[in-house]
Amino acid sequence: MTAQPRMPAWLDPSPWLDGRGATPADVERALGCDAPGPRELAALLSPAARPFMEEMAQRARALTQRHFGRTISMYAPLYLANFCTNGCAYCGFASDRVQPRRRLEPPEVEEELAALKETGFEEVLLLTGERTPHAGFDYLLECVSLAARMFHAVGVEAFPMTTREYALLAEAGCSGVTLYQETYDPRQYDRLHRWGPKKDYLDRLDGPARAMEAGIRTVGLGVLLGLSDPVFDAVCLLRHAAHLQRDHWKSGITLSFPRLRPQSGNFSATFPVDEAGLARLVFAVRIVLPDVPLLLSTRERPEFRDGMAGLGISKMSAGSRTSVGGYGEADPATEGQFEVGDKRSVPDFCAMLRNRGLEPVFKNWDSVFRDAAGAGHG
Amino acid sequence: MGTGKFQDAETMVGAVRASGAQIVTVALRRVGRNPREDDMLGSLGELKGITLMPNTSGARNASEAIRAARLGRELCGSPFVKVEIHPNPHHLMPDPIETFEAATVLAAEGFVVMPYMPADPVLAKRLEDVGCASLMPLGSAIGSGRGLATAEMLRLILRDARIPVIVDAGLRSPSEAAAALEMGCDAVLVNSAVAASGDPIAMAAAFARAVGAGRDAHRAGLMPQGGGAALATSPLTAFLSVEGA
Repeated sequence: MTAQPRMPAWLDPSPWLDGRGATPADVERALGCDAPGPRELAALLSPAARPFMEEMAQRARALTQRHFGRTISMYAPLYLANFCTNGCAYCGFASDRVQPRRRLEPPEVEEELAALKETGFEEVLLLTGERTPHAGFDYLLECVSLAARMFHAVGVEAFPMTTREYALLAEAGCSGVTLYQETYDPRQYDRLHRWGPKKDYLDRLDGPARAMEAGIRTVGLGVLLGLSDPVFDAVCLLRHAAHLQRDHWKSGITLSFPRLRPQSGNFSATFPVDEAGLARLVFAVRIVLPDVPLLLSTRERPEFRDGMAGLGISKMSAGSRTSVGGYGEADPATEGQFEVGDKRSVPDFCAMLRNRGLEPVFKNWDSVFRDAAGAGHG
Repeated sequence: MGTGKFQDAETMVGAVRASGAQIVTVALRRVGRNPREDDMLGSLGELKGITLMPNTSGARNASEAIRAARLGRELCGSPFVKVEIHPNPHHLMPDPIETFEAATVLAAEGFVVMPYMPADPVLAKRLEDVGCASLMPLGSAIGSGRGLATAEMLRLILRDARIPVIVDAGLRSPSEAAAALEMGCDAVLVNSAVAASGDPIAMAAAFARAVGAGRDAHRAGLMPQGGGAALATSPLTAFLSVEGA
């Protein structure tokens, strides 16, 4: 058994967690603060802030409109492989889950990309599990190259890599890397990651910094809500983002708020977050980080997604398939990583956005920017 | 007018018309090479008699902006380019060094270069010297709605500029646009202030009236403000005439 990881001083949220005992006056102060930070975030997530939900929502919407206008950026995930060597207690792809395993071969990847492109997307997020002999770095690099020929923006959500590997991904046309810490609580992290490379807390924590150092333009951070105390995790998330912004000022940060969904393995959330809790978290983070894109995936049910669009949330996926081969195959051979909550088609989802006075934006990036660096395929 | 951030193309076109804008800027990152519903070029095609100015928003350095400008010229058929280089994707403040470098190259290539720039009077003259067609200093940070926070620097830019000065970014209300024109600026560029308002088309029309009023006021000449002291009712220099008599 590995020793429990120590939390770096720059991440430690404990000085601000006193905010959990915040008073209504503290919440009002947080709402009126010119430069809110971890203390204000903790106050906005405290029980004292519950009566301020509407005020927080109004503020979140105003800030979202100010920075992102009446638009929602659209992206789609594409699952490349579901092989995994990790023992994450909460994941449907964990190595002890019995389900068919496969990876898409490059011609199949092209078919999936083509099927996705048909639906109008220009930004794709490629996902794999842990680094395995079946789906390692070279495989991922090849898939990024294929995707960069067809899509303007290509992101990767996979295992942590070395700086050199991230640089090679960037050269191949990868503009975004998503790497969730899952939970920043070292004790919970150690308990939930039963075996495998992912058990290395600090290696994962430093992954986003390596990606930024390597020239990846945007790094997505997040925690899996349900695994640990959400206030602890939220303050850590904010501190992690601030730390990265100080060291890597040319890179962008996006934040996601995935909640634990039913998946094979029947893991139950230790710290369940209900919809009101998730909404309050999004509002609070928007107030504290007004210019950071906040994402919401299809994990959530349609009515919730409809309500949150533009209310803090500025970027959304739609029509997602979480199984390997989910777009091109009528009946994929594998199960999805999690249960999709919003199964609406892309046109239906876009019609909803328009009805709410929001414009779905599929192209919000041009490959010319990556090609200018002398790399990529355009 | 900027063209991003609107809820739909119809509102965007309506707002541009209502604003009376002569130049609209469009982000290359929003332009599709294949026509699509959210492609900006298709909607902007409805606007006749308006100059289209691609911008390089998204570029982090000069080489990215130069490449984007060349592609923008191909796609939009316009020699105008708003050079916009903001390496920090969050506050979107312009990079003065990379902006100068890109402007130098693009002006030499024959582009009509209009750089989004910090409100820096020295940089303004440097950009003018390399052949920019106008200067586009920010009023305050993009999307901040803080108005003319850079007013003192804008006055220095205006005092020395030989090319048009257009306040870009940070404006929230028509009165701020009027103030910029009263000050002597030649135009303003707005997007969020219109697109994120309650009624974008009505707000665009309000900006149009404010810009007109500000321009008229500048031409008419504001009353002198002096140092803030009121004129004394008894002349302070009456004694001078005694000696001269």
